Parts: sequence; C-alpha cells; structure tokens
Amino acid sequence: MTFEPKILGFLCNWCSYAGADLAGVSRIQYPPNMRVIRVMCSGRVDPVFIFKALLTGIDGVFVLGCHPGDCHYLEGNYEAEKKFIMVQKFLKIVDFDKRVRLDWVSASEGARFAQVVTEFIESIREQGPSPLSGESIDQELFNNLKAMENSVSSERIRALVGRERKITEVENEYGEKVPIEEFNTIFDEAIHDEFVRQRILLSLSTKVLSVKDLAAELKLDPSEILENMVKLKSRGEIDYQSIDGNTPLYMRI
Amino acid sequence: MKNLGENSKSVVIIGAGIAGIQAALDLGDMGIQVHLIEKQPCIGGRMAQLDKTFPTLDCSICILAPKLSECYRHDNITLHTLSDIQKIGGSVGNFSVDVLKHARYVKEGVCTNCGDCGAICPVRGITNFFDANLVTQAAAQIAFPAAVPAAYRIDPNKCLYLNYEICGLCYQNCGADAIDFTQKDSILSLDNVGAIIVATGLDLAEDIHDLNIYGYQKYDNVITAMELERLICASGPQAGHLSRLTDGKHPKKIAFLQCIDSRSQKGQMYCSSVCCMYTTKEAMIAFEHDNELESYVFYIDMRAGGKGFQRFLQRGAKEYNIKYLKSKISHIDVDKDDNPIITYEDYETSEIKQITVDLVVLATCIIPSRGINNLADVLGIDLDHYDYVKTNPFLPIETSIEGIYTCGCAREPMDIPRSVAEASGAAARAAEVIKGG
Amino acid sequence: MSDKEEEPRIGVFVCSCGSNIGGLIDVKALAEYAKTLPNVVFTEDNLYTCSETGLAQIKNGIKDHNLNRVIVASCTPRTHEPLFRDCVKKEGVNEYLFNFVNIRDQNTWCHQKYPQEAFEKAKDLIRMGVAKAAKLEALENIIVDATPTALVIGGGVSGMTAALSLANQGFKTHLIERENELGGRLKTLYKLFPNDQEAQILLENLKKNVEGNKNLKIHTSAQVKNIEGFVGNFEIIVEEKGNNIDLTIGVIIVAVGTSLFTPTGYFGYDGKIRITQHELEDKLINNDVKAKDIVMIQCVGSRNDERAYCSSVCCMTALKNALILKENNPKANVSILFRDLYTPGTHYEDYYRRARETGVIFIEYSPEKVPSVEENQIKVFNEYLGEDLLIPYDLCVLSTPLVSNNDNKALAQMIKVPLEENGFFLEAHVKLRPMDFATAGVFVCGSAKWPVDITESISQGYAAAARASTIISHDTIEVEGATSFLPDYNKSLCTGCEVCINVCPYNAISKNEDDEIVITQVLCKGCGVCGATCTNHAIIIRHFTDQQILSEIFAYGGKEV
Repeated sequence: MTFEPKILGFLCNWCSYAGADLAGVSRIQYPPNMRVIRVMCSGRVDPVFIFKALLTGIDGVFVLGCHPGDCHYLEGNYEAEKKFIMVQKFLKIVDFDKRVRLDWVSASEGARFAQVVTEFIESIREQGPSPLSGESIDQELFNNLKAMENSVSSERIRALVGRERKITEVENEYGEKVPIEEFNTIFDEAIHDEFVRQRILLSLSTKVLSVKDLAAELKLDPSEILENMVKLKSRGEIDYQSIDGNTPLYMRI
Repeated sequence: MKNLGENSKSVVIIGAGIAGIQAALDLGDMGIQVHLIEKQPCIGGRMAQLDKTFPTLDCSICILAPKLSECYRHDNITLHTLSDIQKIGGSVGNFSVDVLKHARYVKEGVCTNCGDCGAICPVRGITNFFDANLVTQAAAQIAFPAAVPAAYRIDPNKCLYLNYEICGLCYQNCGADAIDFTQKDSILSLDNVGAIIVATGLDLAEDIHDLNIYGYQKYDNVITAMELERLICASGPQAGHLSRLTDGKHPKKIAFLQCIDSRSQKGQMYCSSVCCMYTTKEAMIAFEHDNELESYVFYIDMRAGGKGFQRFLQRGAKEYNIKYLKSKISHIDVDKDDNPIITYEDYETSEIKQITVDLVVLATCIIPSRGINNLADVLGIDLDHYDYVKTNPFLPIETSIEGIYTCGCAREPMDIPRSVAEASGAAARAAEVIKGG
Repeated sequence: MSDKEEEPRIGVFVCSCGSNIGGLIDVKALAEYAKTLPNVVFTEDNLYTCSETGLAQIKNGIKDHNLNRVIVASCTPRTHEPLFRDCVKKEGVNEYLFNFVNIRDQNTWCHQKYPQEAFEKAKDLIRMGVAKAAKLEALENIIVDATPTALVIGGGVSGMTAALSLANQGFKTHLIERENELGGRLKTLYKLFPNDQEAQILLENLKKNVEGNKNLKIHTSAQVKNIEGFVGNFEIIVEEKGNNIDLTIGVIIVAVGTSLFTPTGYFGYDGKIRITQHELEDKLINNDVKAKDIVMIQCVGSRNDERAYCSSVCCMTALKNALILKENNPKANVSILFRDLYTPGTHYEDYYRRARETGVIFIEYSPEKVPSVEENQIKVFNEYLGEDLLIPYDLCVLSTPLVSNNDNKALAQMIKVPLEENGFFLEAHVKLRPMDFATAGVFVCGSAKWPVDITESISQGYAAAARASTIISHDTIEVEGATSFLPDYNKSLCTGCEVCINVCPYNAISKNEDDEIVITQVLCKGCGVCGATCTNHAIIIRHFTDQQILSEIFAYGGKEV
C-alpha cells in the first residue's frame, strides 16, 4: 500500500481559506491529504501548535497566510513568518525542517492554492511517513521534538521571537536598530541552548543522571552539557540528588 | 446598534461598484436604510475585475470580497441587482423612486451556486462582460464564481425556454428547485427617500469606439488594458499565465501605449487619470509571472500624484524591468508572425525608431457609464460637456439637484482611494439630509 | 433556554447540499459516524441545511435533544456561518457555540476523483469540529458607550468641512484651530483653479456656515495638549488662549494640513526675483507684479531623492497663476518648465488646454538636465530641439511641494497613530480605508494625509465626517465577542514584558497606572497574534483558544501529546 501523507494545514480566514474555497468553487482538483484548521490570521499560529501536530505523527504541517503587505490585520503574517522561521531553525537540528512549510495564497488564487498544496503533499510523500507515526515511534526523535515544543513555549524564546521585528525594524529613541545578522547570531545561539536545556530537563524528568550520562544520551560534549546544567541550576529547574562515587547525579525540581 | 426606526427616510444609491458599496456601508453603519441599485446581476463593479490594485499591489477581490459580504448581510442595506431607475419624483428629503427590477429567473435566496444549470444549458457562446468578453458562457450564467449575490441568472435574450418554450433543462436539473421561469420584471416603488447618490462608475473607450487606428480589432496581438487585466488575473481565463490569444506564446516584450482615445481630439479631450498607474501595475504583475518580460511604456506625461504613486513608478523602473519612453508613437504595423511593430521617436536622440514586440496593450480612456444620459434625464441632473455628472469643484459632491449627490467615476475619472473617499463624502451629505432634517 | 447543563450536548447536522456533497460521499454514514464521537447526542443529515426546512431541523434538534452546541458540516463558513449562528441564537444557543465544518468547498468539490478519501476526510474534519465544539464557550459581544461628540483638529477648509458636516448631522462638534482665525492655507490664496473662484469668498461663506452652526464650538488660538481613552470615550485636554478645557469626545478627526517649503539653495532662490508660487500669489493679491518675462519651474524640491513624491497641486497652481499673469498683461511672456504636467481628469486637462491657448509656453526638462538659472536668463536643455534654450526673465517662480508639518510627530504620538516616510499621516489602508487610522475612532482628511487640492480636501472632509458618524450615530459601540483577553486568573502569569503591546497593530493593548496590561476589548479585532506571542501564555484568544485549536490537532493526529 502506497504511503498517503497526513497533512495538517492552518489557513487564515481572509486569504488562504478563501483561496481554498475558490479552488473548490472553481472545481480545481487536488489530492485529499490535507485537513484544515481555520484561524483568523496566520499570526495566530503558535509555534507550539506545529510541534504538537508533528508529535502526534502528522507527516507534514502547512501554514498559509496572506501575501506580505496584504494581511487583513495589517502585520500578522509578518509575525507568522518570524515564528515559522524559528520553528524551521529548531527542526533543522534534527533534519525535520522539510516537513513544515509556510506560503502565501490570496483569496483570488484558487489555482495557486491547489498547486502549492499538491506540491507539499508530493514533497512529504517523497520524505516518507513520519518516524513518529505508526505502531512503533522513534522515541529519540519524539523526545527531541518534545524538547523543541518546550523551548518554543519558554519565556526566553517567545520573548526573542516576539520582539524580533521591533528590535530589527523599528528605531528606538536613540535612532538605533539592531541589524538582522546580529539578532540572528544571538537568536540562533538561544535556540540551540534552549533546545539542549529542554532536552536535559526532559531526560531528568524521568531519571536521575550524571553529566556523563546526559552527554552520552544526547550525543553532545560533556562541557556543553555542564554549561547548560549550570544555567538550569541557577534557574532553579534542576538540583543535585545524590553522589555516586565521585559523580554527582542530578534531578529535575 | 440603534437604528432610526422603520419609518425613517432611506437613501437610494445608484451603482454598486466600490463607490456605491462604500457609501451604502457608511450609511448603513450610521443606522440609515439604504437601497443599493445595480444594473448587473452582481455587485462589485470594475474593482471585481481587477487582479491587483496600485500602489499596494494587493489582491483586488481579497480586499473587496469582505465589503461585498458585508453589504449583502447588512441589516440596513437592501440589494437590488438587475435593476434600473425608471422614474423619480419629489424633492430633497422626500423623493419617490421607481426601480425597475429585471427578472433573474432564479430564486436568489435558494440558489446554492452549484453550477449545474450552467453546465447543462445548451445555449453557449455568450460573451461574458466580466472577463472583458474574452470568455463565453451559457444562458444560465454567473459573472464570476465568488459573485455576490451568489446566485445564477438566466439571460432572457438567449434562453430557449423564455423565448420559445423549449428546453428547460436547467429547471429539471436544479436540485434546489431554484429556477423560476414565472418571474417577471417588476416595478418597486420606494417612498420617503431622503437622498439619492449617483455612483454609476465607468465604462471604457473600446465600448464606444473601435480604436482601429491604434490597431485594436485590426491586429490580434493588440489588446486593451482591461483584456490584459483579465488575462493576468489569478482567477481569470488564463489563471495569470499570460499567453497570446493568437498562438499561445508567452510574450517576452510588451508595449504599453498611454493616452489611447484620451487627451485627443480624435477621442476624449480629457485625461483618464488612472492609466499611467495601472499600466505600471499591469507590467509589474506580468513581470511577476515571467521574469524575462521587458515592458515598454510609451507616454506623454506620467501622472502619479497620489500617495505612494511616485515610489510605485520608481519601483517599476528599477525592479520590474519597465522602460518609460516619453514618446508619442506614430503607427503600429505587424510582421508576418503577427508581432506588432511600433514606430516612434526616440526622445533622447531624436531618431525615428522601430521596435517589434509580442503584445501591445492599449491604456484606453475611461468614459462615463453608458447609461448615464438616460439616468440624467430620469433624475433631471445636469451632465457636463463630457457626459460626467456636473459638479462645482468646491461643492464636489452636489449635483444640480438638491438632495442628489454623486461620487467616484460618475463625476470624473479617478482611482479607487479617491472614489472611496468621495463615496464616504456623499454618504455624509446624504446623512445630513436624513438626520439634520 | 437558560439552564444549560455543564456537559456539552453536541448536535451534528450533515448537509448533502443536493448532490454537491451527497453525490460523492454518504452523508447518512457521516451522520452515523458523528454519533459515535464524544459528547455528540444527536445527528441528522439534511438535503439543504441552509433551506427553511434545514433550519427548522436544526431548531427542532436543539429543542428536542436539549442541544447546547451545534455543528453544521456543509459548505463554507465564509458564506453561511452568519445564517446558522442566527438560527441557533433564536433557539437559545449562544452563537459562539456553533461550529462549521467545511466538507464541500474544501472537500467534495475538489476531490471528485477520490470519493473514498473524501469520505475519510469528511470524517476527520467532523471529528475535529466536534472536538473543538466541546471546548467552545458562550461569548457576549462587547459593548461600550459612545459619546456623540467629535473633535476636529485643524480649522482649514478640510477641517471646517468635516466639522460642519458632523454638526449638520446633529453632533456636538469642537473645532480646534491653533491660529487666531479659521481658514488655514485658504486665507492666503487669491483665486482658485479650475474655475477662478475667489478664495476669500469661498472662505467667507464657509466661515459663515461654521460660525452660525449651533452644534459647532470653535476654539481658535487653541491646541490639543493631551489625549487619553479610546474610541467613544476619549478624554482630551485642549489649551485655548492659555486656559485648559476638558472634553469628553467620541471621535477625533485630524485635519492639520501642511506647511510650505522654502527652496533655499534651489535655482538661486532669493525671495525677490526668484520666488515661490505662494509668494507670487501674495504679489498678485496686491497687484504687485511688474515683470514681463516670467518663467516658472516645476518640481523644485520634489520628485528628488529628498522628497520622492509629487505634490499634485503645483502644476495646477502654476497654470492658474500663469493665466492670471496673462490676463493682467496679455503681452507678458510666461513660460513653464516642467517634467510631467500633472493635470489629470476632465476639469484639469481642460484648464491645461486653456493655458496653452492663452499663449503660455510649456518646455519640458528632464531631471538629469535641470535648468540653470542665471542672472538674467534661464538655460534649459530641450529634448525635441536637442539643444539649450536661453529664456530671458525678470521674475522666476519656483513651484515647491507642500510638506508635512514639523509637529506632526508630536501629534501622532499623542493620538497613537503612525506617519509615513515623508511625515504625512498614515491611514489604515491606502485604498479601502483612506480616511481611517488603524486606531479606532480617529480619522484623517485633507493635506495632513497627502498633498491634495481644495476639491479633494472638501470631499475628504465630508468623508471623514461620514466615517466618524458611523461610530457616534449609535449610543454604543459593539464588537464581536471573539476578542483577545487577559483573564483575572491569568494575571499572575503576566510578567509585564509588553511583547503583546509590540505586536498589536490596533493599539488595543496598553498598561494602566498600576503597570498592569490592559486589553481594550472594543479595539481588539481578534487576530490572535498577541496570544500566539505572549511569553507566558497568559493571553486567551476567545473562540480560537489554545485548548480549542489543540483539540482539533489531537483529534486529527489521533492522540494527545
């Protein structure tokens, strides 16, 4: 039996949902793999939603909004774009970034809607079923995505992506703007750090482990693990539990 | 929301293009009853035919559709499509208006827009005005899929049943039982009308002149701007993938000729106002579909005084491969492959040159809606020497009759932002009559 | 029905839409399937749910089975959601407890070759719809009072027109003018194009109407000092001749006009022999022009790098003054050096022709080869001749653009509205909301928005009045209940980070004196961006809550994660 991708689409009421309706009204045909969740604005799509969808085993997630400049709510699609780029940066760490897509379809583009959806379905078909679907799931990938979900749910990451446009595009009282490259350097580092930290927290929520254990499990350098654990401890999220010989074991608080 | 009560005066708005719709929504939102009269079977006017609008390049139907829906659903607005004004009486604050409602032969509230009637109707080949007559439709027709009201209509001139009492296939096949051949034209008499707004919009020069001297209807690869608009429109007959109607080739060189039938004693003497901008817009949209496109705009004066308009032209020249040539062209010929050849004077070198292009697009003059003379007679308002509704420049919304107001292209060629602003203005004047007493 | 049980009791109505849905998939089977879903107590399939029969079936379903949530699976919410919401509301079910599942426009119509898959898709979509419906909450529309008063800032022709229209509609209107007399730019003009109307007569008539209207209160030598509040309820402090006045205002119209540009450094401008059109107009009023060879230069200080815009009124102004000069002295030589002549439309193109017929000479120049103004002559390169023309002059008139006021920024900040790159006020949408700001209850008209002529200033004045009137014509302002809000029980989650304030384009979110985040409900348009951005998940987007959307995701994915 050939693999039929399971796709979830988030469509904004004013443009892409209307474009999808137009495709139907015009009887333009496209494959039946996508189920749609209607939102008022593509900017409503919380990155958490995308990760939750992938964690359930859905093979691909498609966010469709108004063309830049056309957003019914003026700037929501720009916010959607920033959040989406962030989601892709996370997913790239585990080579999962091609299972999500963001595109723009206007209310008059019925044919284009069918075209981009068909293309995405085909792309997912080529990538094969999600390792998180079916009977036996890839637990490590699941844990990684869960850690990412927790990262995009965290205050720090949300503050960065929420402020990105203001910091890089609007001058402050001194007439200063942060160049996007500079912002991205900080942001990329934060993404990486938060992911590692959430991954550590996830592991420690079921087990008590040492730095070396964690380094082995996450396939990272022990020094990187230690650095992040220091941060987590200072945040009050982990602490020592016991000592095994000379090796401290940590637990989640 | 508080309304003014059932016996309060209403406003009759003639024309449901963007200006008429805006005026209707403003008055409706103020709590005033509105009768919105439209001669076509659907509302939206010219704006519904456009792909994108300048200077923002946002999708026309995307920003128009919510207004169409709102108009349709508004508690205070009654839509009368397929309708004309027959007669008026009375005066400001107390007009009576007779509306001739042509039969649709379809029950508007019942039709589900499924399209079965159009598919089965045997009468075909009727040109569709909405698609600039590039496309044909059946006698059971709808202007475009997202039309408001979302209901089909039977063309009484072509329908076999209505003329010869044969066929009737649409009626037999309509699952919702929406076809009704017993409908008749009727007169609706409206009393207690406080004010009237004329918002009849525009037609195009090609509707009244054959434009042969510019090669139109002479050479097949010379088309009008409205035809191009429909061809490059995402929901038009070519879904935006522009190809020549002669041989299907994708044009790589397009010449846009400005001031066709305008600023000229051969046609209209006035300036059509919007063509410099819409030509740039069309060239940009065509370029978005094909990055190899070269556009040449032949102009006299580039008129771009509105907000953001100069920047728009600059973008066109810089990012969309549009070359602006200040030159009146001499004539158009074609070569053996039907490619138009333009002879013009090169402004900078004063040489006579020729350029062969794949397609010529004529920016034709916009003219007052063709029913304006009849309507002016019925209403008793003055028209100016160009047949636009006559207004005083410092009383721009007043016609020669108190209580009858006007806005948009019924008054003078103008773009959408100005039409919308004037429409709101007309609503204010009408509201003063109704509320001020 | 007032006593609704806590437990959701969902009714699902699956529409066949004639054969549009039922012709491809088995709607009876879908209704059967829906019955198996959690919280569903009643299902039915209809031929045309939107018909009178269909609506009656919904009403009966609600009555007979005590439904407190209704789902219709048929065409698209974009056409029929209001119809069904209305239907359930009449039967006592809050309209926000209605959910719509699209199984036609986004299913049967576009998957005609896949009937089996379309059926499965319909099942999934209904399952998702039911999951969301179980989490829906009843919502009420938000209602605030609307004070039926207006404030117009700026007593020029546009402001006066707006104020007069509102006053004529019966609203108490305050007109604020910072000079000690009304009139703005109109005070200094002589004759007006395109029909040589005397500016002062137009002004006198307008002033008479304005001053004679009992609904219109005029405040001259007055400025707005502070604005608090929101649409329908602005609290404004106006300083008039040194005294502070407190006003409670429903709507505000900005009509502050423009400033003149002095072309210092352009073409040897000296204010004596090389002057602006405005200075020429002044001379013409006083009959003080003795010159015989007048040359006008268009686009001085505009359509360049500094000011990329066309000021739209300068060509007509030049033509008008040229015609007056020719009228006063038919033997005078008047030339206009231009780049593109801006005389669009019917009246203006006729005016251009008239100017040509009276013998005004028009010479084009290109921006790459600007004219050079020498002591007694002007040298300009003409493309048609391919050589320089030397034009003697004893008066050179420079047509300069209207520019934005220096204090627009301060006013913009006070009202919380934006400016565009040239300092003019930026409206909500250039095409379809040209008089509105994104901030509700504030409007703009005339040259404050963009240089326009008097005709358009007047139309826009009326237009702003109409837009303002749509708000204050009613006792209250009502918005749909699907807004963003910060519930009391989440206040402890809010860290005051203000990221929500950043991302709201409608200025609906602010901080109060206690430093707490306040979401002004009546300004919220329900886009949900603040909710997706809130760093601590404190904000709730009603009718599209996290829980509701997640329930749809889990219903499709098949598990909760």
